[in-house]
Amino acid sequence: MFRQVLTQQWVSLRSAVLVFVVISFAVPLLTVVYGGGLNAGDLARVAQWLDSSERIGLLIPGIALLLGVVFGLGVWAPDQVGKHVYSLALPVPRWRYALLRFGAGTVLLAAPVAALGLGSFVAAWAVTLPTGLHAYPAQLTFRFALASLVCFAMVFALASATKRVALWLLGGIGGVLLADLLLSAFGSDAEVTAKVITALVTFPGPLSILTGRWALFDV
Amino acid sequence: MTNAIETWDLCYRAGKTFELRDLALKVREGSIYGFLGPNGAGKTTTIKLLMGMLRPDSGQIGVLGGKVPRDMSRILAEVGYVPERPHLYPFLTVEQAINFHAAFFAGFDMPYAAELLDSFNLPREHRLSALSKGEMGKLHMLLVLAQRPRLLVLDEPTDGLDPVVRRDVLSALLDFCSQGSATVFISSHLVHELERICDWVGVLDRGRLVAELPMHAFKSGIKRIRVENPPSLIGDTPFVLVARETTTMDEIWVVRGWQPPMVQWFEGTGAHVKEIVDLDLEEGFVELLRAARVPAA
Repeated sequence: MFRQVLTQQWVSLRSAVLVFVVISFAVPLLTVVYGGGLNAGDLARVAQWLDSSERIGLLIPGIALLLGVVFGLGVWAPDQVGKHVYSLALPVPRWRYALLRFGAGTVLLAAPVAALGLGSFVAAWAVTLPTGLHAYPAQLTFRFALASLVCFAMVFALASATKRVALWLLGGIGGVLLADLLLSAFGSDAEVTAKVITALVTFPGPLSILTGRWALFDV
Repeated sequence: MTNAIETWDLCYRAGKTFELRDLALKVREGSIYGFLGPNGAGKTTTIKLLMGMLRPDSGQIGVLGGKVPRDMSRILAEVGYVPERPHLYPFLTVEQAINFHAAFFAGFDMPYAAELLDSFNLPREHRLSALSKGEMGKLHMLLVLAQRPRLLVLDEPTDGLDPVVRRDVLSALLDFCSQGSATVFISSHLVHELERICDWVGVLDRGRLVAELPMHAFKSGIKRIRVENPPSLIGDTPFVLVARETTTMDEIWVVRGWQPPMVQWFEGTGAHVKEIVDLDLEEGFVELLRAARVPAA
């Protein structure tokens, strides 16, 4: 059963998987391109290279977020087109069906994660680092895996929800924005939207995994 | 005789205009039950309730000895369902779609599926998005028949198909029924189609079940009778009076269960039978709906 769900999801998402595999593999290598001809004595150049490396690293949580969105929506899309009629007629409890879809999506997620890992190790191997600098390919890959999984799980849960739940969520977002608008109109500096976003992206917010430093090379 | 499907006082309201009221269906095990009704009568809604896809406002549903929705997974394992608008994953090939479906049904008969694939002339390697409407209809029928279900629920399975495909699909269905004792619940607004295959018929109109009877009883003895000098009050009749309509000269009665000696009943009331016309099933169906739609006095 799982194999068939995985096959079905692979056929449906393989183009997206391949695109993400290529991007995930390429991004760590970009760091090396910027790091060509490093000289440990040239401190200014090392600092500049580290800065570039860190900026390129910012692409990685972006990829993780995009990966979660594309896969989270993609695994449900074929069922949503048919208003879930076919899947609802299958003799499995709904929770188990969702688990099958989630499991298959997670397996597909492993391909870009593996590509990023491979790219990171190749990049780490290709560059001669000055003393005091270290490469963190395993840590970066693990963090990317975790970030992708969190984003995927969140979008998966939202995409699997009923229209009513989706409307409640949209209503909630609209409510926050409206409250912000009204408060600022009355001269308040409460900034509700900023507070909500901060709560999401700072620990223990679910998106805090995406923030912080994402550099492959660091001290 | 047990019932494969049974509903008790089933009610469901959708919006302000449509309501399914006190539906009491009884589909006997082993029967081929035609669920007739005009468009918008509530056939698809009823089927979605039976399949656990909608929750009734009140009433109970029993399918294959289980309760809906409590026993849904067990029930669905024994039910083959073809929805009104079949939707399979369009990016899969025919073969992949069969494998996907088979994975969920323990009793899926792969050799039978291969046999049907050949007889339906379906290309294994073609993507579903490239199939015609007729081919999609045949594929969906293949999937549910190869499940070897105890109950087939078919929601207008031949709607929009050309006559050749329609014949192929119905032949496969009849072949399947002849091999075992599966119950078939088939909805349609095509009366002649059901006339050929069904042994029971239920007629739904505007959310109400207006008739449920064996097909032979529905078919036999539906007459349109022109009556001169009819009685104004009718007591017990030896036939079922479906409709009664006054014309300038006399009255037109539509009756069911008619036997020639029953003409004496009219003579006994002082009426005179001027003409008796046989009605086919479609005309009988139309008269039944007309009678059901006459507002109560």
